[in-house]
Amino acid sequence: MTVIEFNSVSKTYQGKVVLEDFTLVVEAGERVVILGPSGCGKTTVLRLLAGFIAPDSGSVSIAGQLVAAEGKIIQPPERRNLGMVFQDMALWPHLTVEGNLEFGLKAQHVVKSERQRRITGMLALVQMDAYRRARPPELSGGQQQRIALARALILQPRVLLMDEALSSLDEELNQHLRKELLLLHGQLGFTLIYVTHDHVEAHDIGTQIVCMRKGRIERIGTASGVMPRGADTLGADAAK
Amino acid sequence: MNNAIVRATCAVAAAVMLYVSGCSSKDRNAVVVYVSEDQVFSEPVLRDFEKETGIRVKAVYDTEEAKSAGVMNRLLAEKDNPQADVYWAYEPIRAALLSQQGIAAAYQSPSALGIPAHFKNPQGYWTGFSARARVLIVNKSAPDKPTSILAYADPAFKGKAVIANPLFGTTTTEIAALFTLWGDEKAKAFLAGMKRNGVKVATSNGESADFVASGQFTFALVDSDDAANRMVQGKPVEMIYPDQGENEPGCFIVPNAVVLINGGPHPDAGKKLVDYLLSRETERKLAQSDAAQIPLHAGVETPAAVRKIESFKTMQIDYATVARKMQEIQPLLKEWAGL
Amino acid sequence: MMARRSVLIIAVLLLAVIGLAPMVVMFARSITVDGGLSLEFYRNLMASDRPWRLLGNSLTLASLVALLSTLLGVSLGIVLGKTDIPLRRLFTLLFTLPLLIPSYITALSWADVLGGSGLASHFVSAAWIKTASALLFGLPGCVLVLASTFMPVVMLATMIYLRTINPRLEEAARLVSRPSGVLRAITIPLIRPGIVLAATLVFLLALGDFGVPTFLRVDVFPTESFTQFSAFYNFGAATAAAVPLAILTIAVLGGEQLFLRHRTDELRPASGGDDLPRLRLGRGKPLVVIAVAVLCLVIVVIPLIALLVQSGSAGAYIRALHTVGDSLVRSLVLAAVGATALTILGFFVGYLIHTRALAVWRAVDAWTVLLFALPSTVIGIGLIALWNRPATNLIYATPLMILLGYLAQYTALTSRATVAGLALVPASMEEAAAVTGAGWVRRVILIVVPLVRRTLMGGWLIAYIFCLRDTGITMLVYPPGYDTLPVRILTLMANGAPDLIAAASVLMIVATVVPLAILALILGKQRRSR
Repeated sequence: MTVIEFNSVSKTYQGKVVLEDFTLVVEAGERVVILGPSGCGKTTVLRLLAGFIAPDSGSVSIAGQLVAAEGKIIQPPERRNLGMVFQDMALWPHLTVEGNLEFGLKAQHVVKSERQRRITGMLALVQMDAYRRARPPELSGGQQQRIALARALILQPRVLLMDEALSSLDEELNQHLRKELLLLHGQLGFTLIYVTHDHVEAHDIGTQIVCMRKGRIERIGTASGVMPRGADTLGADAAK
Repeated sequence: MNNAIVRATCAVAAAVMLYVSGCSSKDRNAVVVYVSEDQVFSEPVLRDFEKETGIRVKAVYDTEEAKSAGVMNRLLAEKDNPQADVYWAYEPIRAALLSQQGIAAAYQSPSALGIPAHFKNPQGYWTGFSARARVLIVNKSAPDKPTSILAYADPAFKGKAVIANPLFGTTTTEIAALFTLWGDEKAKAFLAGMKRNGVKVATSNGESADFVASGQFTFALVDSDDAANRMVQGKPVEMIYPDQGENEPGCFIVPNAVVLINGGPHPDAGKKLVDYLLSRETERKLAQSDAAQIPLHAGVETPAAVRKIESFKTMQIDYATVARKMQEIQPLLKEWAGL
Repeated sequence: MMARRSVLIIAVLLLAVIGLAPMVVMFARSITVDGGLSLEFYRNLMASDRPWRLLGNSLTLASLVALLSTLLGVSLGIVLGKTDIPLRRLFTLLFTLPLLIPSYITALSWADVLGGSGLASHFVSAAWIKTASALLFGLPGCVLVLASTFMPVVMLATMIYLRTINPRLEEAARLVSRPSGVLRAITIPLIRPGIVLAATLVFLLALGDFGVPTFLRVDVFPTESFTQFSAFYNFGAATAAAVPLAILTIAVLGGEQLFLRHRTDELRPASGGDDLPRLRLGRGKPLVVIAVAVLCLVIVVIPLIALLVQSGSAGAYIRALHTVGDSLVRSLVLAAVGATALTILGFFVGYLIHTRALAVWRAVDAWTVLLFALPSTVIGIGLIALWNRPATNLIYATPLMILLGYLAQYTALTSRATVAGLALVPASMEEAAAVTGAGWVRRVILIVVPLVRRTLMGGWLIAYIFCLRDTGITMLVYPPGYDTLPVRILTLMANGAPDLIAAASVLMIVATVVPLAILALILGKQRRSR
């Protein structure tokens, strides 16, 4: 089943073409990595998907439904059932860990007992049970990352978007969290769109890798087809 | 590039400093005057003085709104190092206060010769000129018109009268004058009567006049220029000189007063300005202007609207006594106005 | 380190000489009677229940003004700073106008609208006018005038702080919630420190305002001090009467500190904040536009029109220009110089508070805010007492005194602005420069100042506005013959021709707005060309 479809999307920002004739189809459960140097337009792809911006031309569909086309946002972000982890985490500093997780549940009118149950479950899943009452600035980088992930996943989104989410962490932690991410993906079965400039990360995570350069797709292929290195090792069976 | 900016900045800064500091009061051919008479009336007179004598006038004006807090406080705060040469006060009581504080210098101006002794300090610490009369401004639509200030305590005018805050300005002066005229007992009874009658307290004479002009109140005791001003504006009001009857005390007169400041920076120019202000010519101008003030020199020509000092009955009081009384009754007035 | 210490110490000393010394002189007078130590003035002050009643009035007035300003200011700040409402710039400028005008002029123009024979009397019945007039001359009118004057402080603060939010924080919320939900739960809480700061400022401004309550006949506490000055000429008692205001200010500051202690968020400059799409008002747009336009009409346009109508003919303007032209030029020069001096002193004081480089930083912060809130008469008399000596005549008898007055009363504006600006700059920026071996002076000039440039310019503008509209201090210390325009308007108001006063007020508004507009234009161009 097709979850995401970009149909010949172009986007210009401040007179500069950031995305040109971008066409991409993503199937349910896939792990797509968008790989490219900074400024190649990969983050724009995520922002178009999330609904923060509209394409100048072309269209974007999610789960068969047109969500944005020709300069118009048809479906606003909150109705797209997406989770997103930002490069700088973007945890709300004025709310506790619990508050960060609860916000979306409240917004989607989940009743209180259910909210509590889900928060407990999710914190257990990311091994952060002990930090329920903590505030984000008190957490370490890795802990913040886990909370950001938990916040993105708590509404059980169809698609999880990650924007260079692990790039600021040290290599060891990065590897560790990558593994956890793949485990979660195996357990929850969401579709993952992962943006990075790091070949190793791309190769570790993606079932499909989209190489971008100057707003255009250069190549699309499986991890083994694109990467100079061997096939990925983890979670390949979780796809499809 | 950077150097050019630095140089330009320095040049601008220097120019500004020059501008900012270029007006020291030590200017030779100048006179510094602090004025609490309304600027609209006083400024033209001072301009004429400049033109006629070539002496530059540097003035600090004050407002009715600010209750001459600015000028009086400055004079008092500057006592040890006076900056002003002349104080043009809008009434003699606060001028008298200055002489009690040692801020005034004694000066018998030759121009003051024609001014009745009653309106000047015998030693010349202050000299009165062009006067306001304290009059009743009355709305024309009122069926019953008051003729005496006693109307304030008359039940017939209950809730119909307004008066400026007696803590300030000429209103204080007049109440103090009544205390010297009637004695404490009768004056206090009058104040109590006013309170019983629900007299409204306005912030200034101008505001009381506006209340009457708009018909919210029937009458108010104000300065004659306040009343004249409303009449010029075409407001439905008339001016009544109170207490003109045989056994009545007469209308209270508030002259302007000029004070030569003790130890001011330009004593000679200061004396010239004092002479100028006390002249018949200045009195004529202030009578002709919107101030409509009553000349104290006999025989100065006045427009029809300005009555001559000798043509009506004026209250006979001693301003020095009133000045002392005023300080004595201030706490009482503060309490009274606190309501 | 030496350079840093010495410069900061000089700034503190300067503040001490300009701001602290006059207050010490005044305070000393308030506790001496006939040369001996005595608390008589304080005992007398609190002897009756009147001061308590006035204090109650003042608190009520200041609270209502702060509340209304905050409600309106935050709403408008969000609508104008965040949504796609048309004519945003025009609305922002219009709503800012009342802040640029001395508040007594606003009060005057309202009286021109609702007074007995005012503008409104041509349109509605006399009974209605009577009610409206009664409301204007009382607490409601006082709240209206002061809130419309000070509301822009909150509005502008909201707009500025909105720009400092990391846009990702809002986007993260947008994924799960509608814009209104994001606004309520994320955006507003994030800018709360800014709102609290602005609301505190408004509260203090309303608490200290004297002209408007007097004009609209509301008895407030500053009257006590003022009466001591103007009816009794008793400097000691007048200062004693200002002390409760000082205590109140310290209490408010304490509350603010307590609140801000709990703030955990680090704001950061919005990276690429310009690409943030504005909130779409959608179908509600006409309704919002109408609401904003009506509000603008009521609190800004109507009083302005009243002034214009009152000023009448071109002749009045020619006369006004002739009468007040000199004062106008002086006002502009003094305000510009004053704002520049305030920005420089405020920068170093703010830098001190931000870096806590000297142990006295907290005292310095509290002191500047206290000076901001004290009655200007007390500061003015203090300045006279301190500077009017033969030795300092070169300063006393010049407009430098006005500048000293500005510095004494308004440093809090620019120091606080600097602190807010520095909070957005990571310490690593200056540290990185230090690593390269750059000395402190060089670091400050080449790194720190450029980084907080926009905040400094904002601070300069605010300082310019406050200097330009000042009457309290200027009135007391301007050198003879060198008055400023607001002072002249005030002195002309006694028996002056209404059309002349209105025309002078309009000139005052134009004179304030034009330099600001030119500056805004230059800044806007600079931003685009970068």
